[in-house]
Amino acid sequence: MSLVRYLARRLAQGALIVFLVSALIFTLLRVVPGDPVRLMAGGMAPEALIEEIAADMGLRDPIYVQFGRYVAGILQGDLGQSFVRPANGAAVGGASFDDSTRGERAKVWSLIANSAPMTLQLALLAMIFALVIALPIGVWGGLRPGAWPDRFALYISSVFVSLPNFWLGIVLALLLSVKLQLVPAIGYNGFAYTILPAFVLAIEIAPFIIRTLTVSVAGVMSQSFIDIAAVRGLTRNQIVFRHVMKNSAVPLLNLLGVQFSMLLGGVLVIEFIFDYPGLGLLTINAVMQRDFPLIQGIAIVTAAAFVLINIVVDLAATTIDPRLEY
Amino acid sequence: MSLDMLQTKTLLSVRDLTVTLTTEGCDVLRGVSFDLAPRQILSVIGESGSGKTVLARALASWLSEPLEITGGEILFEGRNLVEDPAFARHLGGREIAYVGGNPAGALDPTMTVGAQLVEKLRAVRPEISTQEARRKAIRLLEAVKIPAAERRFHEYPFQYSGGMMQRAMIVDALMSDPALLIADNITQPLDVTVAAQILKLMRDLNKDFSTAILFICSSLPVACDAADEVMVLHGGRVVERQVPSGLIASPEHAYTRTLIEELPTLWTGTRESAPPPSRDQQAIMSVRGVAKHYETRGASGKAQVQAVRNVEFDVFPGDNFGIVGESGCGKSSLMRLLTGLERPDAGTIFFEDENIGQASPKRLRALRRRFQLVLQDPYGSLPPQSPIGAIIEEPLKIHGLGNRAERRDRARAAMSEVGLNVASYDSLPTGLSAGQRQRLNVARAMVLEPRLLIMDETLSALDQTEQGKMLNLFERLQAQHGFTYIFISHDLTMVRQVCSRIAVMYLGETVEVAPNERLFFDPGHPYTRALLSAAPTLEKRRYLPEECLLEGEPPSPIDLPPGCAFAGRCPHAFDRCLSETPRLQTRNAQALAACHLIDGGVAQ
Ligand code: SF4
Repeated sequence: MSLVRYLARRLAQGALIVFLVSALIFTLLRVVPGDPVRLMAGGMAPEALIEEIAADMGLRDPIYVQFGRYVAGILQGDLGQSFVRPANGAAVGGASFDDSTRGERAKVWSLIANSAPMTLQLALLAMIFALVIALPIGVWGGLRPGAWPDRFALYISSVFVSLPNFWLGIVLALLLSVKLQLVPAIGYNGFAYTILPAFVLAIEIAPFIIRTLTVSVAGVMSQSFIDIAAVRGLTRNQIVFRHVMKNSAVPLLNLLGVQFSMLLGGVLVIEFIFDYPGLGLLTINAVMQRDFPLIQGIAIVTAAAFVLINIVVDLAATTIDPRLEY
Repeated sequence: MSLDMLQTKTLLSVRDLTVTLTTEGCDVLRGVSFDLAPRQILSVIGESGSGKTVLARALASWLSEPLEITGGEILFEGRNLVEDPAFARHLGGREIAYVGGNPAGALDPTMTVGAQLVEKLRAVRPEISTQEARRKAIRLLEAVKIPAAERRFHEYPFQYSGGMMQRAMIVDALMSDPALLIADNITQPLDVTVAAQILKLMRDLNKDFSTAILFICSSLPVACDAADEVMVLHGGRVVERQVPSGLIASPEHAYTRTLIEELPTLWTGTRESAPPPSRDQQAIMSVRGVAKHYETRGASGKAQVQAVRNVEFDVFPGDNFGIVGESGCGKSSLMRLLTGLERPDAGTIFFEDENIGQASPKRLRALRRRFQLVLQDPYGSLPPQSPIGAIIEEPLKIHGLGNRAERRDRARAAMSEVGLNVASYDSLPTGLSAGQRQRLNVARAMVLEPRLLIMDETLSALDQTEQGKMLNLFERLQAQHGFTYIFISHDLTMVRQVCSRIAVMYLGETVEVAPNERLFFDPGHPYTRALLSAAPTLEKRRYLPEECLLEGEPPSPIDLPPGCAFAGRCPHAFDRCLSETPRLQTRNAQALAACHLIDGGVAQ
């Protein structure tokens, strides 16, 4: 019962946040310089035509009218249409100002629906890689604070942190895919194309996980119930794998939630470098083409994803540690 | 082997055990030797630093750096554990169980108590099935009188009170049917009524489960109560071992003798407590119908915690007024109300002629010159960076009294009065002992020449000897300055020694207010009697715990049931107690109690 109430409250809060984010993005996009109609119609189009198209699209109405119309659309599940992309794929250039294809411009929703799973796949794989790297190093470091596993965890984190991701991406692409031809790198043509960018991302996140783990594991190890557990007759393995891990899981979970949200919303550089057709690449193109509806759509979808991930993380945390009541 | 032989065989035999603090090169235990028979309860008593906890840990194979066994033997059923650490570790949690004094942090907070009990048993006896372990855990939880054991099995440690958690830890120790239970200070953190229950429980368990118990504690009355024999540890050596009656009647060692002599008493030969001052004069503090509640978020939304209810008493000039009660009884909340730190939701608190509960903040500040609070914790309440003199002068500065030279003189005078060396005027408080810090706190409170001093657990952190000195100091100051004291405390023995009148609190209420002698010799409320019966003392008990004390702990101050709050634990409860809340009523001119038994117990 209280769980339902809790969920309802959190979802309502989330909806408000998403609404505010979209209002903000909507306003910002309309006050920054650069007229999207000019871009769409091309530099050669006569001023009158541009005004006509703009008025036609409702772009000359007051912002709140436009926003109202937009929100009404969202409520019906319609994120609008892209300014520039046709339904069939590649972006249209600015040349076709006669605009016969207007009706077939791509739905923002389907553009996002096509690339979001790609990013999700990338983010999940990156998360898995990062955990595989960080869990043993972090837990081990936390079990031996001050000793060499702890220092090793610190050193390796420092190394990982200081590798710029674009540099690492390029080096690995050259090495593993061009030279050794182990994994493909550029574009997307099957699952194998996810591996390399995911690995680069994992290296980027791993230090945060290692750090959080060493700190929380060491913290749990110093608590009295761990000390007493051995006297009570529990074995070292039981103590570490059942009690220490479980008690250090909450801080880790919070971190993973944040990291995962960041992966979903902003793997711009990596997707760009590897030409990986996910949300990041979509965002970059949308921004460069001043594709307002698309930018808005992406912002709203990622904001909603943040909210949901947060709720899931908090719920998971209360299941692990019942003291954190909702 | 006959039963007789089994009983005479020793279970544990410690020979010349020496434990060294390797970093300092000094011995914490020096040649400790003793035997423990199966099923025997042996108390080990000693002051802090006597090595008793080190002994407990050495026996539980729980010594860690820099402590090390450097000599002697620990023979458990004939095998030397010192030479065979692997075997010793194997025994830990199986044959030798350990229960410590800090039940609050002893279990994993993220797992239910039941799951951890099962886990522990299966760790040491993997052949036992989970089902069976579960049944055993519930059976033992019932045996230690945890109410609704089935349900409690599925609850988390944070849902247990301190007393229940300690019971659960005893269950944890007994899960594996150990031959030896090491109980290290297990009643230390508990309230007296709960501690008394745990002691009784331990003796019962000793009978039912035939476990030998090594009972380590720092209070002589508790040790004598608990055990068949008492062993006194002093400076890392065993100085004496006797049955309790023998130890009290004819202590052999000088240390034991002083220990017994210095022990404050409840019933016999107490200090001459001042007679209650005349009640014809105007009360210095007068509390009427005071209540305070706090909001918390409980399992089902908001809940109200009734921290203080129906509190009523008068304090007269020259009084030593005591407020006693166990943890959670609302003492601290009441202190905050009396000192104006918080305002009551209902009722009035008059200090002289002014209602503290409604005085403006400015007025309150002015009033504080005349009533001062001396806090409990001698380490937390002093700013470590200011010199002692400045700390004492601070209240004078705040109230804008005197010029520099005058303030200095007054601070020095206060220092010499409380017995602090005036030469330490410029030094920092960091070097002071607990007792000296408490003196400094008193000096700081008294430079303003207040009329009323409120002492919140002021003496709790001090040892017996130091407490005695402080009490003498309070008496002297009272004679010189005409102070009135309110002592807020959980310690009946302390209150018995100094207070002229005493209020007993239970679940936020004053259930009894009476002069010292009257309260101790003719208590009017069943809870007072329960409290007195549980107080640790070497004297012959006036009130037997078996008659005065029922199982159970105070109900939660959230969602209080109607009627008398003590009804659930009261041996005399009858129908009317469940429906009607008793009010404080006069038993004669000076004693008040809130119990339906006073007016004959019949329904009105
Ligand atoms: S009112 Fe009843 S329940 Fe309460 S203390 Fe008196 S006899 Fe016991």
